[in-house]
Amino acid sequence: MSQKIAALTARVNEKAASDAAKWTYEGSVPFVDLGAASLGGEVPHVHRFRLGNGLRLLVLVDRSAPVMSYFTWFRVGSRHEKPGKTGLAHLFEHLMFNESEGVKAGEFDRKLEENGAESNAATWLDWTYYYESLPKDRFALAVKLESNRMAKLVLREPQIVSEKEVVANERRMRVDDDVEGIANEVLYKTAFVKHPYHWPTIGWMVDIENFTPDDCVAFYKTYYAPNNATIVICGDVREQDVLERIRDGYGAIPSSTIPEEDTTPEPAQLESREVILKKPTASEKVLLGFHGPALGDADHAALSLLNEVLFGGRASRMYRELVTTREVCTDLRGWVSTFRDPGLYEMYFTARTGTSAKDVLARADAELAKIRDEVVTEEELERAKARLELGLVQSLETASGKAEQIGFYDTVLGDPAAAFRRLEAYRRVTSGEMRTAARRYLTLDARTIIHVLPETPATTGQAAE
Amino acid sequence: MSTSAKKVPRAATTHGTSTRFDLPGGAVGFVESSTVVPLVSIALSLRSGALADPDGKDGLSRLTARMMRRGCKGMTSEQIESAVDRLGGEFGFDVGPSTISLHAQVIRRNLQPFCELLGKVLGTPTFDQTELDRLKRETVAELLDARDNDRSLAGLAFRRALFAGHPYSRTAAGRPASVETLTRDDVVATYAKRFVQSDVVLGFAGAITEDEAKALGAMLVRSMPEGPHVENELPEPARPSGRRLFFVDKPERTQTQILIGTLGTHARDPDHWPLVAATAVFGGTFTSRMMREIRSKRGWSYGTSARLSIERKRHAFTMGAFPAAADCAPCIELELKLLEDFARDGITPRELAFIKNYMIRSHAFEIDTAPKRLGQALEAELLDLPADYHTGYLDHVRAVTLESANASVSARLTPNDLVVIVLGTASEILDKVTKAIPGLVEHQVIPFDHD
Repeated sequence: MSQKIAALTARVNEKAASDAAKWTYEGSVPFVDLGAASLGGEVPHVHRFRLGNGLRLLVLVDRSAPVMSYFTWFRVGSRHEKPGKTGLAHLFEHLMFNESEGVKAGEFDRKLEENGAESNAATWLDWTYYYESLPKDRFALAVKLESNRMAKLVLREPQIVSEKEVVANERRMRVDDDVEGIANEVLYKTAFVKHPYHWPTIGWMVDIENFTPDDCVAFYKTYYAPNNATIVICGDVREQDVLERIRDGYGAIPSSTIPEEDTTPEPAQLESREVILKKPTASEKVLLGFHGPALGDADHAALSLLNEVLFGGRASRMYRELVTTREVCTDLRGWVSTFRDPGLYEMYFTARTGTSAKDVLARADAELAKIRDEVVTEEELERAKARLELGLVQSLETASGKAEQIGFYDTVLGDPAAAFRRLEAYRRVTSGEMRTAARRYLTLDARTIIHVLPETPATTGQAAE
Repeated sequence: MSTSAKKVPRAATTHGTSTRFDLPGGAVGFVESSTVVPLVSIALSLRSGALADPDGKDGLSRLTARMMRRGCKGMTSEQIESAVDRLGGEFGFDVGPSTISLHAQVIRRNLQPFCELLGKVLGTPTFDQTELDRLKRETVAELLDARDNDRSLAGLAFRRALFAGHPYSRTAAGRPASVETLTRDDVVATYAKRFVQSDVVLGFAGAITEDEAKALGAMLVRSMPEGPHVENELPEPARPSGRRLFFVDKPERTQTQILIGTLGTHARDPDHWPLVAATAVFGGTFTSRMMREIRSKRGWSYGTSARLSIERKRHAFTMGAFPAAADCAPCIELELKLLEDFARDGITPRELAFIKNYMIRSHAFEIDTAPKRLGQALEAELLDLPADYHTGYLDHVRAVTLESANASVSARLTPNDLVVIVLGTASEILDKVTKAIPGLVEHQVIPFDHD
C-alpha cells in the first residue's frame, strides 16, 4: 500500500507549479478499524502527506456512505492568547465564517448549504478546527472555500462588532447563566495560576468587548498559515483526487513564521484552594479539581480507567454510594482532561435538594481514600476497559467521527491512530498501576474545591400544582 | 467544553431501507445491517407513551420504564448494571408522548449475552418496593434540579401553553407532586397493560445479520407479556387564538429564552411538505431568515431557529431565540415582524430553489449510518406516518412548489394567534416585553419553580 501511494505522490508532483506545491509522502498508519478487522474486511490506513509550504494532510478512505468529511485543524487555541486578549482564538473562529476575498459575508455558509453540506467549528485550549461534511461529489467546493479563507479572510469592523455580540451571548448561555458553566470556569481559574489554562476558551467578558480589528488581523497573520494546519479527509474519495485538489487549492499559500510557544508550566499546587459561589439554583454542588497528567503521559490511561471505576455508569463506586445507597446526590461525573499539557482530573457532584454539599464531599473523600488504599477488583477493571472500548467504537460510526478522532490525536499527540494505541494501553493497565495513579494524583491537600450554594436556603421544593 | 461558532438546526428528513419482518405476538421487527463498526444498536419501542398515563399520574410511564433496570428475576439493580458494563453495552429508556423506547448499543462480540440480559430485564422485572421508593425520591430530586436548565423550563411552559387542555401539554417526566403519588400497583399495572408483545416495534442496526435479528428479536419479544394492543385515541389539538404571553420568572437572568409558536401540520396533511420546506427557509438553516436577521445582522442571539414537529396529531410550529435580557423585547418585536412578513408574503422563488437544493443534497447525512436508517423506519412505524414519508423524501421535496409552500404558510401561520413564552427576570423586563407584543390578549407570570 505504501509503495503504491508513494508512486502516486510522485506522479501528482510531476504537475506541481512549484516546490511549495509538491507533496512529500510521510507514510501510512494502520487505522485499526475495529469493524473491518473483526468482520473480515481490509484494515484501512491513514496516509500522511506534507505540502512544500508545510501544510499537513491526513487521508482515510472510507466508502461506507457516499459522503466525506473535511477537517482543518489549526495548532492554535486559547493557550496561545495573552492576558487582556482572552477569547481571541474563539472569536476568530466565528469570524472565519464571514467574508473572504471573492466570498461575500454570508456566502460561505450559503454555498455550503446549497450544496447539502454541514459545517461548523470548535475552539479549545490547544487547538481550533473547522469542518465540512459534504456529499462526496462536492469535494471541490470545500477546497475552494477553505483554502480561500485560510489566505484571504476579510476582517471589517462592522462584522467584528456583530460577532463580538454573538460571542457575548454565547458566553451568557454557556457560562454566566449556567451554574455548571460558571463553576467550571472558576475551577480552572483557581487551579491554574501561571499556565494559560487559567482562562476560559470563550474569554473574559471584558476582553470580548474590547477586541479591535487590529487584534484580529494580527492573530490571523500569525496563526492561520498552512504550516500551522493539518487537513484531515475521511470518506468516499480517491487519493489522487485529494492530492491534486488540495495542492491546487493551497499550494500557492505562503507559509509563515509561527512564534515559539511562550508558556509557563503550572507550578505544583501545594495547598487546597476553595471558592464559594452563590447562584440561583435549587441544590448545592461541589466541583473538585486534582492536577492530572497530560494526554500523552503514561499515567493518563490508568487514570482514565480509574475514572470509569469511580464514575462510569450506575455500577460505578461513586454512583452506587452517593446516588443509590446514600441518596445524597442527583448527578455526578468525573473527567480526566485530554489536554496537551497537564490538566485537571475534574469531579462534579450535585447534592440532592436539602442535602449539604459538605456531606457529599465527605462521602466522596471516603471513596477516594478507598481507591488510594485498596486495589480495584478484576471485575471492576474489566468493566472499565469494556466501557472505554465501547466509547471508542461509538465515536467511529460516521466519517466525521473518524476524521475528528484522527485530527484530534494527530494535533495533540502527533499520532493520527493514537485512539487505538490508547485502547491497547487500557488493556495493559493493572489494578496496581491504577492505585499508584490514584496515590499520585488524588491528594486532598493539593486540590481545588468549588462550592456552589443556593442564593436562598433550599426548600424541599414540593410545591403543589 | 469546547465552544463552536454555530448553533444550527438540521432540516427534518428521511428514508429507510430497513428490512421489516414479523415477530411473535403481533410484534414488528426491522433490521439494518452494516459492517462499518463492530457495534449493534437495538431499539425496542412500545406503541404508547406518556399520553397514556392516567390523569393525575403524570410520569407513570417513565417511572415504570426506569424501574425495569432496578431488578429482575435473579438479579439486583447493581448486578444488572455491572453485567451491562462488563459486556461493553449500554441501554436506557426514552419516554415520549406516544412511545416508550429502550435504546441500547453493544459491542458485537457480546450481542448474544447482552440480548439475553435485556430479555430478563424486559420480561421479569421485580418492581421491588424499596427500589421504587428510592427511584421516586431520585426522580423528584432530578425534577427539582431540572429547574437549572432555562431552555428546558421554557420548552415545558411552551407545551403547556400551546396544548392547554390537550394531552400533549403533559410532561413525560411528571411533576414532583404527581410522582409522589405513584404506587407499586400503578407500576405493575402499567407494565402488564403496556409492555405487551403486540405493541412492540423492535429494530436492530449495525453488525448483525437478518437471521440473527429475527432470532434475537423473537427471543426478546417472547420474554415480554402477552396482551392486547393499547388504544391511543387522541383529540386533534386546537389552534391558539389571540396573542398570549406566558412569562417564566427566574431571578438574575442576563440571558432570556424566547419561544413563539402555534399549531403546525400533521405528516398526512397535504400541505405538510410545503410547510416543512418553507419553515426551513424561515429558520431551518444557518443562512435562514431568522439567523440572518437575529444573529448575523444584530448579534442578538447565539442561536435561533424555527421548526415543525411531527407527532401522531398536529404538533407545534416553533420559533426560538435566546438573547441577552436587554435585547429580549426588541428581539420579540423583530421575530413577530419576521413572522408577519413570512405569513403575508411567503417565500421567494430563489429561496425555494435554495432550500430544495439543501434538503435534497444534504439527505445523504440523514441516512449515512445504519442506526439513522433504522431510526427513520421506526419513526414511520410508531407515529403512523405515511408509508413513503421517509423513503419518498426526495420526491416529497421535489414536489414542493412556490404556490404550495406559500399557501401552506398563509393557511397555517396566523401571526395574531400565537403563544409567546419568555423566560427571564420579570422585574427587569416584563413591561418592555408586554409592550413589544401588539394585540396581546393575555399575559401570565409563572414562577420558574411553581411546580
